[in-house]
Amino acid sequence: MILVNYLVAVALLCTGLYAVLTRRNMIKMVMGLSLMEAATYLFMISLAYRAGSTAPVLLDPPAGQTAQDLVHGNVADPVLQNFCLTAVVIGVAVTAVFLSVVVRIAQHYRTLDSGRVREMRG
Amino acid sequence: MSRADPPTGRAEAAEHEPAHRRWAGAILVAGLAAALSAAMIGIPREHAALPAVARYAMEVALPRWGLTEPVNEIVYGTRGFDTFGETFLLLAAVVSVVVLTRSRERRRGYFGESLAGRREQARADPAEPATTSERAARAAEQREQGQREPGDQADPATPDDTPLGAPAPETAAAMTVVVRTAIRIALPVLAVAGLYLVAWGYSPGGGFPGGAVLLGVLLLAYAGFGHRQVSKIVRPGLLEAVEMSGAAAIIATEVLGLVLRGSVSANWLPLAMPQTPLSGGIAQLFSASELIEVGTGLAIAVFALIGMGHDWAPDAASGSGDRGDPQ
Repeated sequence: MILVNYLVAVALLCTGLYAVLTRRNMIKMVMGLSLMEAATYLFMISLAYRAGSTAPVLLDPPAGQTAQDLVHGNVADPVLQNFCLTAVVIGVAVTAVFLSVVVRIAQHYRTLDSGRVREMRG
Repeated sequence: MSRADPPTGRAEAAEHEPAHRRWAGAILVAGLAAALSAAMIGIPREHAALPAVARYAMEVALPRWGLTEPVNEIVYGTRGFDTFGETFLLLAAVVSVVVLTRSRERRRGYFGESLAGRREQARADPAEPATTSERAARAAEQREQGQREPGDQADPATPDDTPLGAPAPETAAAMTVVVRTAIRIALPVLAVAGLYLVAWGYSPGGGFPGGAVLLGVLLLAYAGFGHRQVSKIVRPGLLEAVEMSGAAAIIATEVLGLVLRGSVSANWLPLAMPQTPLSGGIAQLFSASELIEVGTGLAIAVFALIGMGHDWAPDAASGSGDRGDPQ
């Protein structure tokens, strides 16, 4: 039941979003955003799954199958695996940017509490 | 909402974290969860046929690119233009980190900038005296980082020269001899595994994970041996130049496809036998350039964060000093 994976991804995304919405510590907000990213990875990898499938590698197919069978047959979706690969790299880079912004804010305002960063209030 | 500060010292955010729009957040998140769960029930599951784009990639991977691994064919072939864009998104993020973390003085290395910078600042801007809190924060940081004032007791040239039992491990730059020996064994294995992933694996490709592994190698060396041992490699002048050369190689790989074959990210190299390190045409070139770009880019971002200059603003809450940069 891959639906369970989908729902766990939703739960993970919502946990991260709840952290971002209700936490005031900016490090915890970045952690919430990372959780939301992790939810997308889980979702895309689950979406790529096919029942009884093998990895999308055209080498040494499982017993009883040829590489030709794999091309037309039952493999995990390679495009979504590619999306996930892309998302991981972007996630790392974006987290680095967030963290450097947080450190600069902490140094300037002497607090990690977003509620005390008054000059950003509109 | 009232936040009463503790009577002594400045308040740490972790000490008192009031609930912040807890109910509004819960209602919004519950609504989103319900909407997404309803959507999840309707999307294709494990018995659906592969989408047309995935079938196309599986079909062209071997005949057109000579790659036995369709994921690599998608990364560097069919969706090469997307990877191209992603590379420069990564580059933009690295540039953002570098801009955000740079200190006021000219940058020579990622570490030990505050000592050089203080002399420079005293020369360029003697009118800005350090406030008490600033001095206290800097002194605490120096103790934390195990840095010593010039003229203080000198560290040995390499951590291996440290006499046993000399400085406390928590203030020493390097880890203990046990950890250093373990790292000396693990480091080459990790480096070779990362490069193997790029060079071959099932087929060429794997520049992204390979780059991340190389960052792991650098971080392991940094953690085990201290920043002075890695500072010959981990310095902005070298890493930034190497990263830019990786980015230039990616641009050249993609644009030469346009010049020679009439479309961006088309293959313009002869195909070698499948399952050899040179199969896949431009895939190996693209992947190796991506290794350089991702490895150095992540290293720049991570080490810029680790060695971030401590440019503390004066603490207005404690009433000492004024705010902002002097002009």
